[in-house]
Amino acid sequence: MGAARGGPLGRWMGHWIGHWTFRNPLLRKELRQRMRSGRTVLGLSLYLVIIGAVAFIFMYLNVQGQTLLLQPTRTAELFTFLSYLQLALISFVTPGVAAGVISGERERQTLPVLLTTPLAPASVIFTKWVTSISFLSLLIIMTLPLYSIVFLFGGVAPSQVLAVFLLQFMTLGAIAGVSIFWSTYVQRTGWSTVLSYATVALLFIGAAVTGYLLDGVAARNPDEGAWAWIGGICYAINPIYMQAALEASRGFFTPAFHNSLVESIFQTVQTHNLTGPGSWTLFVSLYIGGSVILLILCTWRLRPGSIATARRRLLRWMAR
Amino acid sequence: MIRTENLCKRYNRVEAVRDLNLDVRAGTVFGFVGENGAGKTTTMSILSTLAQPTSGRAYVGGAEVTTDPAQVRRQIGYMPDVFGVYDGLSVTEYLHFYGTVYGVSSPVIARRTAELLAMVRLGDKADAYVSALSRGMQQRLGVARCLMHDPPVLILDEPASGLDPRSRIEMREIIKGLRERGKTVLISSHILPELADMCDEIGIIAHGQLVACAAVEVVAARVNGQRQLSFELLARGRELGQVLRRDPGVSDVITAEETAVDVLYGASEEDQVRLLRDLLGAGYPIKAVHEVGASLEDLFLRLTEETPARQSDGRPA
Repeated sequence: MGAARGGPLGRWMGHWIGHWTFRNPLLRKELRQRMRSGRTVLGLSLYLVIIGAVAFIFMYLNVQGQTLLLQPTRTAELFTFLSYLQLALISFVTPGVAAGVISGERERQTLPVLLTTPLAPASVIFTKWVTSISFLSLLIIMTLPLYSIVFLFGGVAPSQVLAVFLLQFMTLGAIAGVSIFWSTYVQRTGWSTVLSYATVALLFIGAAVTGYLLDGVAARNPDEGAWAWIGGICYAINPIYMQAALEASRGFFTPAFHNSLVESIFQTVQTHNLTGPGSWTLFVSLYIGGSVILLILCTWRLRPGSIATARRRLLRWMAR
Repeated sequence: MIRTENLCKRYNRVEAVRDLNLDVRAGTVFGFVGENGAGKTTTMSILSTLAQPTSGRAYVGGAEVTTDPAQVRRQIGYMPDVFGVYDGLSVTEYLHFYGTVYGVSSPVIARRTAELLAMVRLGDKADAYVSALSRGMQQRLGVARCLMHDPPVLILDEPASGLDPRSRIEMREIIKGLRERGKTVLISSHILPELADMCDEIGIIAHGQLVACAAVEVVAARVNGQRQLSFELLARGRELGQVLRRDPGVSDVITAEETAVDVLYGASEEDQVRLLRDLLGAGYPIKAVHEVGASLEDLFLRLTEETPARQSDGRPA
């Protein structure tokens, strides 16, 4: 361990991580700007108050003041409710935060100066992505103590909470990636925001509706399995269904759920076997791989000449 | 220090820059003059690695802008004509950010921040928020920002645009200070007399082409090659105008009134003396003759009028 840390690979890793994170001047500046404003403090406080109030009301309605009455199944229900509330928040707030990071710089006329500095476009894009997700990540992490309430009454294990959080971070990162993509390719923040929300709507609502319609087609054509298979793909790229898949695989789906919408979601999870490795491979590949590809495309767009220069260098190197 | 070779930049069918050959020596303050859309900002964008030339080459400090942009970026401080500032950062934090971006160490940043703020007369605003500064102050801070990593070359795109007279004077003094620091400065402006006062050399660009490029004195002398002569007479001014129109040294009769005649004269001073002697000998009641030296603006207007706009295929636009 010590040898690895002191070895060339360890030193290189340390340097690389430091270069992209705490020694990254743009990241420090962005975080300083974003986190020091009163609006941030107010937003965080307000969110905690709302989530706390929702959790309290939910529990109060269930136990009527007698905590001994709270069943573990109810705790799982509370956890599911809170996690969906958080997923909704991610899908609503992330485009608003991330859709203006590059177009906003362009509109404020700060981008040209930034691009004449030695900062690599990849560094600018990566930093913007990190700062976009930092606020929402902080929101999610801040709710951890609130989630710990569910541990008090049993029914949910810390590893289950962690799994849902991982899925939400992945969704957050992908939505931020999509928003930054639009922000880089579209000149105006207004349009970028609209397109970001449209993409999120397509992913959350469009995919679900398409899946539902394809399920109907598949029901009428039981011999043609392709419809059901495509429908399964539509559900597998939808964080709502994949979060349900995660919770179903952990045994959260209990008779306690009386809501028909939630029931239909869990039903779909079971019908299409979304808890299986195939769905998860698709989801993780799309959300992580897609984010990486979009961020690379943003880097290209930010400094069009950089690709031409790289190609010229490569050709010169090959000629040598 | 700054050199371009047949630099061209084309946007669809319009040539923003056409065969631009520029050579700015180290330590020179070079004024880049041109109308809106003449190609100044495009040229500066190429030199700042923000845009790629369609053809031709551009070098800054020996580094080529397309093949070695990282090296170019380290050597330049670029200030665009319109630039924004970051909200929520103080003046010191703003300069510190750009210092760290260029890899300047913290002690050097602290020392340079104090020095530069004193130079741009913002020493008392070190803790003020950048967004709260006036436009003139932000422009001065922009110059300080350009100097944070002590680059040998500064590219300033209309640094005095939109400033009030006092701020313009302050900006002019700052740029004169840059010359004393030995910086190579490429500066564009519409305010020609100010450029003449600040610059060692000027280049006039029209429709993407460099139509004149020389030391300020040489350009002024070139202007004086075509000088305006104003005749004051008691009478017979219109008749004199007809006579002067036939003189080979007179390129244009601007006005010909009964008591005042203005002409554009391009012949030698000896020819001018001979002409005056002939006119007096012919009995014209000339009271006085004034020679009006053409200004830099006159040259600018004349040269930019002479150069037609062209499309990428070379046809007039």
